[in-house]
Amino acid sequence: MKIVYSDVLVIGGGLSGLRAAVASSKRGHSTVVISLVPAKRSHSAAAQGGMQASLAAASASRGDNEDVHFSDTIKGSDWGADQDVARMFANTAPKAIRELATWGVPWSRIKAGEREVVVNAKKVTITEEKQAEGLITSRNFGGTKKWRTCFTADGTGHTMLYAMDNKAIELGIDIHERKEALALIHSDGICNGAVVRDLITGELTAYVAKATVVATGGYGRLYKISTNAIICEGMGAAIALETGVTPLGNMEAVQFHPTAIVPAGILTTEGCRGDGGLLLDKDHYRFMPDYEPDKKELASRDVVSRRMTEHIRKGKGVPSPYGDHLWLDIRLLGKEHIDKNLREVKEICQYFLGIDPVTDLIPVQPTQHYSMGGVRTKPTGETPGLKGLFSVGEASCWDMHGFNRLGGNSVAETVVAGMIVGEYIADYCDDNSVDIKTSIVNDFIEREQAKIEKLCARDSGENVYDLKETMQNIMMDKVGIFRTEEDLVAAVSELTELHQRAKNIAIKTKTRSSNPELVEAMRVPRMIKIALCTAMGAQARKESRGAHAREDYPERNDKEWLKRTLAYWKNEDDPTPTLEYEDLDIMRMEMPPGSRGYGKDLTIHHPDTEKRVAEVEKLKEANPDVNRHELSELLNPIDLPERLRGLNERVGIGYE
Amino acid sequence: MSQSNGTAQKGRTLKFHILRFDPQLKGDKPRMETFEIEEQDSMTIFIGLNEIRKKYDASLQFDFVCRAGICGSCGMVINGRPDLACRTLTNTFPDGEITLLPLPAFELIGDLSVDTGKFMRNMSERMENWIHEEPDAEPRKLTVLEEKMDPDVATEIYELDRCIECGCCVSACGTARMRKDFLGAVGFMHVARFEMDPRDKRTDEDWYDLIGDDDGVFGCMSLMGCEDNCPKDLPHQNRIAYLRRKMVSAGT
Amino acid sequence: MASTAEGMKSLLEDRVVKSKWPARLDLAQSLSGLGLGLFMWTHLILVSSILFGKDAMLAITHVMEASFLTPDEAGGYTLIPALTAVGVFGLFIVHACLAMRKFPSDWKAHKTFRSQMAMMNHSDTNGWYTQVVTGFIMFFLGSVHLYIMATQADKIGPQLSADRMWTYGMWPLYLILLFAVEMHGAIGMYRLAIKWGVFDGKDPRATRKRLKVLKTLVTVFFLSLGLASLAAYVKIGIENVENNRVGERYVAGQEG
Repeated sequence: MKIVYSDVLVIGGGLSGLRAAVASSKRGHSTVVISLVPAKRSHSAAAQGGMQASLAAASASRGDNEDVHFSDTIKGSDWGADQDVARMFANTAPKAIRELATWGVPWSRIKAGEREVVVNAKKVTITEEKQAEGLITSRNFGGTKKWRTCFTADGTGHTMLYAMDNKAIELGIDIHERKEALALIHSDGICNGAVVRDLITGELTAYVAKATVVATGGYGRLYKISTNAIICEGMGAAIALETGVTPLGNMEAVQFHPTAIVPAGILTTEGCRGDGGLLLDKDHYRFMPDYEPDKKELASRDVVSRRMTEHIRKGKGVPSPYGDHLWLDIRLLGKEHIDKNLREVKEICQYFLGIDPVTDLIPVQPTQHYSMGGVRTKPTGETPGLKGLFSVGEASCWDMHGFNRLGGNSVAETVVAGMIVGEYIADYCDDNSVDIKTSIVNDFIEREQAKIEKLCARDSGENVYDLKETMQNIMMDKVGIFRTEEDLVAAVSELTELHQRAKNIAIKTKTRSSNPELVEAMRVPRMIKIALCTAMGAQARKESRGAHAREDYPERNDKEWLKRTLAYWKNEDDPTPTLEYEDLDIMRMEMPPGSRGYGKDLTIHHPDTEKRVAEVEKLKEANPDVNRHELSELLNPIDLPERLRGLNERVGIGYE
Repeated sequence: MSQSNGTAQKGRTLKFHILRFDPQLKGDKPRMETFEIEEQDSMTIFIGLNEIRKKYDASLQFDFVCRAGICGSCGMVINGRPDLACRTLTNTFPDGEITLLPLPAFELIGDLSVDTGKFMRNMSERMENWIHEEPDAEPRKLTVLEEKMDPDVATEIYELDRCIECGCCVSACGTARMRKDFLGAVGFMHVARFEMDPRDKRTDEDWYDLIGDDDGVFGCMSLMGCEDNCPKDLPHQNRIAYLRRKMVSAGT
Repeated sequence: MASTAEGMKSLLEDRVVKSKWPARLDLAQSLSGLGLGLFMWTHLILVSSILFGKDAMLAITHVMEASFLTPDEAGGYTLIPALTAVGVFGLFIVHACLAMRKFPSDWKAHKTFRSQMAMMNHSDTNGWYTQVVTGFIMFFLGSVHLYIMATQADKIGPQLSADRMWTYGMWPLYLILLFAVEMHGAIGMYRLAIKWGVFDGKDPRATRKRLKVLKTLVTVFFLSLGLASLAAYVKIGIENVENNRVGERYVAGQEG
């Protein structure tokens, strides 16, 4: 039996995993990262548009601060987020971006003087101040009050990931590539690492650690068409689920991005619309102002995606062999702007569509994009069910996004959560040791080895690719942008059946070393489990909140549904997951539920809401002299690791 | 309007000629295998290879991650040219014949899959691809304003930071093929990127230590395979020439 | 103690300070190539004076022998071309040695490079191999020519050079050499421009395209010039045999 020991095992080499690894490594804990692919190839690289942080240096972002960022995030989440976590996040984001600036990310900077931008289809002149020249600039994104999204042209995620991986290399962190975690090793409520398969040699190794971190990204590939990289199959969530003792949170919260190209499903950044791009229908008519007179194309993603779908249903879509689509028009931004700030978009259009967005319209349709749900964690990043098991980034349900994530808040979450949770991981390692018995570790390895042998021994059975495709179609057709009871009931029953069939997969290639079919056969049954958690969560949730839109329950129902879905797979032989719920306590909310300011407001309010609103008002009146930091402290006291505390400086106003 | 959406050539038969070899399997020998599939609208090599795997041979090995031309996983030799397979449309081959080989100059994992990751990690360690602050610099406080940077300089750094480490430049380089320790264009591009970054305090002498020899910039014979095959159109020729001039003046 | 510390220091410096030689050698290779390239182009232009008649060629020969310094301005110092040949020979050897460092080091490397060429069919890669082959050819044939020039510099002239071509059967050597030199030289000059980025300007890609066109034009021009000149010498050589004038020195104005 081969065992690799370390203090921290990070599963996943994307931004959040690497940032957590950097944190624990800097605190002196030996850290090993395992990754399916070379770390720099992780899906984090695909984040084009930017990272939200309230630096407030650019003229259109003046007046921005942590409070506004927090409030936008909560509205975006449709009040589904954990407000403690969102506050921790908003306060730390400026620090995270400034840290990355010292690590080499070439953030686009402010140039003093006048420049022309496109706002609401009109050219507008913006003047940047001399004192801000050279500071990090920001662009407009959906669902934000201020221009808050910092960027490097449209390669933000790429430059962040490269800087982060290089930092990890500088620190000498071991990154083991082409390794897949098959199961978490745990006993008595404590997690101590994972059974890991080498994707080249096929060898199984136990990676034993004090703290284990799931940072494997989202589960977008449950859907047939997704903007996600093909490795985003929710395997981190699956191995956490399979422990039986720790839940996945809000798996039904799945975001659809308004502008992925048709048919490839590749994302064109929200920056296209943030910079002034428009959505047009088959008559080249700009329809969004009719639905969302205020935010227009720049309402939150869930809202824009639904409006597009509504408009298509009215027969206004452009017919194509891949279904009706709409047009994204960025021609008005001009060649110079597109060449400089939207070049990846231009390349994608050239290579995958054979068009030039400077002169042509881009065919787009809403496409699966982001997983708000994931491994449920506490604000420290630790799971409620297993000590020593942490989760960060898209893989987690740390829950700063609730039921809808704002554009630019995902890469921001990766590095901010990595920073914060990384410190808590290091704290955990300071206080704990590995006490697990070798025999238990051995049992876990043998169990996984036995599964592989059983799979290879089966000569006839289900075809893994067919099962996968069936699952992806069910999710696409029945657990999509608009959901109904009828579809969801069907989805759950079909997926339940699929889950049984998946126990009988047979593969043709029996090679134990590098073998893509074997890998697929080991993943697909787990993907089906995740799909079941998603579909069942969606069926049970009889309301519409954020990205979870029920046609039969169009209202947001705070009264009954202001709670987080927790999905457990308690016994291996259970046919379906078990759903439990966790209430969100309005009486502790810094920002009690209200209207988002976009989309239809059909909220059924909770009785506590009124109480809390009054309480907040009273608190404000009772403390007329406090500044905004002190007020936030009164309303929502949060605990951040020592080294991440402190007010953030802004140009011209200092630490106000 | 010129909305081509990939010119429709539906129904055409594509012939994929693929090098098959699994070095993990004892006794396996390299061979070419041909698969025929029907072309679909907007079909890329990514779609084609997945279809072959599903329909004909589930053991076929290849690497894709983002399938959008941004992660650099799927470099392979496509009809003689190293390129990204995910964004190569099949309709760009008039005769429908597509020959695929794994990228040379990298360790072969199997079929079309090569270990670029190991190569790139070594390269990053060798070139120390990270910002080097002054040795005695105090870590900058995260609460204060970030250090200012000329906006044009930031843009220029990003231009060079766009490298996705796909390895096409190394495979396209005759020098790198002949000399195992030759740094290759990817390494030079990173050096050029950090050299122009005002946050990196390394001096010309430091850079000379890294690339001032025949495994470094003086080993480059200007064959321009990198320049002509870079999927991101990075300015390899111009930047290597710049480094060469800089290193000669540092070294003489 | 002090000496130990000194010793340690030098040991450390040995390890830390990187040799400057690679930089010098790289520059030397390029400069020697540049010198040889410019020399060869000049050389061919001078030699091609035969196309304007024997008198033109003789006049050039005399200028090159600095005959304007002699009392009668007729003959010249043949030591000058002889020494030039020796000098060029030196530069040639230096360049060859420097360039050989880049050759495939063994058969396996050579095979790898050939397979790379076969796979890519990439013009600049193929061009380099052309340079290796032509360089190899020049190493032998060029040495012969340079040796003759160094030892028999007095035998340069419209008639005697023509005799060397025809009567002494050197024309096939010069024919091969012509192709080798012009191809090697033009590719080399192009590569120098690319390698050092000297003409890159604002749009290096456009520059490179233009340089490639220029490279072809220059090659064609000098090959044509060379072939025509070679033909002219061969023609004179044949005439010399027919007229029984082999070995006679041409006198200015003789056929004017």
